[in-house]
Amino acid sequence: MSRFRISILLLILLSGLACRSADSARTGGPDRGPALDPAGLVRMNWDELSIQARGTTVNYAMWAGDEARNRYFRGAVAGQLRERFGVTLNIVPLSDAAEAVNKLLNEKGAGRTTGGSIDMIWINGENFRTARQGGVLWGPFADALPNIALYPEAARQRDFGTPIEGFEAPWQRAQFVMAYDTARMATPPRSVPLLMDWIRSNPGRFTYPAPPDFTGSVFLRHLLYHFGGGAEKFMDGFDEALYRQAADATIAFLNQIRPLLWRKGETYPTTLRETDRLFVNREIDLSMSYGPGFASERIARGEYPATVRTFLFDGGTIGNYSYLAIPFNAANRPGALVVINYLLSIESLLDQGRMIGSIFPLEPDRLTPADRERAEELPRGPATLPLAELSRHLLSEPDVRYLERFERDWRERVLQQ
Amino acid sequence: MVGRSGWLKLVIWATLGVIALGPILLLSIWSITYSWFWPDLLPDSFSLRAWRYAFSSVARLDVALLTSLGIGAIVAAISVLIGWPAARVIALADFPGKRLLLFLLLLPVLAPPLASTMGMHAVFLRYEVADTVAGVIMAHLVPCVPYAVLLLSGSFSRLETGLEDQARTLGANVYQVWRYVTLPQLMPGLTVAAAFAFLISWSQYLPTLIIGGGSVQTLPLSLVAFQRSGDDPIAAVLSLIFLAPAVIVLLLASAGGPADAPRCRR
Repeated sequence: MSRFRISILLLILLSGLACRSADSARTGGPDRGPALDPAGLVRMNWDELSIQARGTTVNYAMWAGDEARNRYFRGAVAGQLRERFGVTLNIVPLSDAAEAVNKLLNEKGAGRTTGGSIDMIWINGENFRTARQGGVLWGPFADALPNIALYPEAARQRDFGTPIEGFEAPWQRAQFVMAYDTARMATPPRSVPLLMDWIRSNPGRFTYPAPPDFTGSVFLRHLLYHFGGGAEKFMDGFDEALYRQAADATIAFLNQIRPLLWRKGETYPTTLRETDRLFVNREIDLSMSYGPGFASERIARGEYPATVRTFLFDGGTIGNYSYLAIPFNAANRPGALVVINYLLSIESLLDQGRMIGSIFPLEPDRLTPADRERAEELPRGPATLPLAELSRHLLSEPDVRYLERFERDWRERVLQQ
Repeated sequence: MVGRSGWLKLVIWATLGVIALGPILLLSIWSITYSWFWPDLLPDSFSLRAWRYAFSSVARLDVALLTSLGIGAIVAAISVLIGWPAARVIALADFPGKRLLLFLLLLPVLAPPLASTMGMHAVFLRYEVADTVAGVIMAHLVPCVPYAVLLLSGSFSRLETGLEDQARTLGANVYQVWRYVTLPQLMPGLTVAAAFAFLISWSQYLPTLIIGGGSVQTLPLSLVAFQRSGDDPIAAVLSLIFLAPAVIVLLLASAGGPADAPRCRR
């Protein structure tokens, strides 16, 4: 069977070719700059770092499901970085930051400690904790960044209760808001008790995304704070007794209102997107998001009617920071540091506010009057609340263990009831 | 001239048409929608925002398309090459353990993709093919090769080996037998097998994501990102682009498919 033999030969040839091309893809990559150790970072002159970073490429792993964000980072930000620092920004698009964390954990397991393909990553909360526990982040580096000084101390210390210890730099701010349509509803329920009453008197008109969707999860934490006697009680680590008391009361309430939810609570939307569609299709009357500008964005995209507005709870809504971190095996650390420091600068943050509607994350009291004015004058969409109002109503996230425990209890004691 | 069976045929074809074209029509409408609120039957305003984004340089659609096409073509070629000898043996030879061999060949399709891909990632990392196009191609071969074997063995089982012997008796050399006798008989099956392997590779998400590690960007990766974030018009545009080669390949495959196969049997 000579044909058979020819095929086998071809196969061997091809597999040889495949291996060779893999080799050249690895070694033929762009120059990624020298390695750097955290101890040396503190002593290092920032100018020296910029010189090392010049001419390198930084691979930035970022959630890429938003048109405006993709446009902005691939366009304007990449241009600014090239112009100011001679750094090329390459976006590694993700659907979820957990993808990158899993990749790093695999690489750690396989012993790939250098030459990683990601130089910086956008991360927070559970993903940060997983990454820290797995030892897949490089640091400490954050406190050496010149531009970190204007961030609130709390945001620099803990991320959902997990000590940061310099392994990620605070960057953007998020805060929970709810949306309603002024064409359908005159006054929205502006506090947790009012919302609870509203759900009772409007059967079938409310639902929330099922945890682990992070918007549904943060919505439930507001109830947990309410039944636990206030957000401030949840600020020092994890307290088992407090958790039990608050969780029992919250779960009792959730089970009590379940017949009054959309479809009698027999099913829940699994994502914010599904919840949003119910809201747009007028099956429910309230939507929610972690992004205070989300309703304005959706109005601009034509997904929401122009009459939609957002509101906060009088007792405050939960907000958090998202962070930038550097993987343990990042090939271009100087480049990543330069890019991160730039993205944390007042100039860039104002630009982010103008271009993609991010809320200004720096502490207003630490800004110069001129900068504070510029931050407050950032254009807002029609449905976005003023920065000062958001800041006045900001509550911190609890320890991540409250979140994980409650998501599990919700599944066992609410969903499966 | 339309009798009862004619009407029945018409109804069947119409139903099939709606099932096949309905989603495409719906996606087309979504892709140019600006706002579409319940209870309107049709959107009340339209915009080309999503199409403009898809074809702007920031979307990097050109890179994703070329990567998807290139990987698909190479995977199809290798699948057919690997599948060829396996299919021939399975279709024409009889030996103990043949069923076991067939089972082993189909095993990759039965294994849960997440588990097998995670395992592959660990191995690929060690051999430094993770994050490369070559690694992604190898990962795609796992689900593609079994289908190629299966489809090709169908063709081989219809192969008239007597014709090969006849040609050889008449003085044809090995190449001539292969070129003028074997290949024409197998061509339809070969086309279908390659087309299927291409389409399976084209629609891979998880292996590309994990083995490619973000360094290899294909169309399904962008599509999923926009679907998850809920930007429906852009997701619709990407879905339409994603569908196009599938439709073309299927049309080509069915045009050159079994209907035109040379009938050698008498």
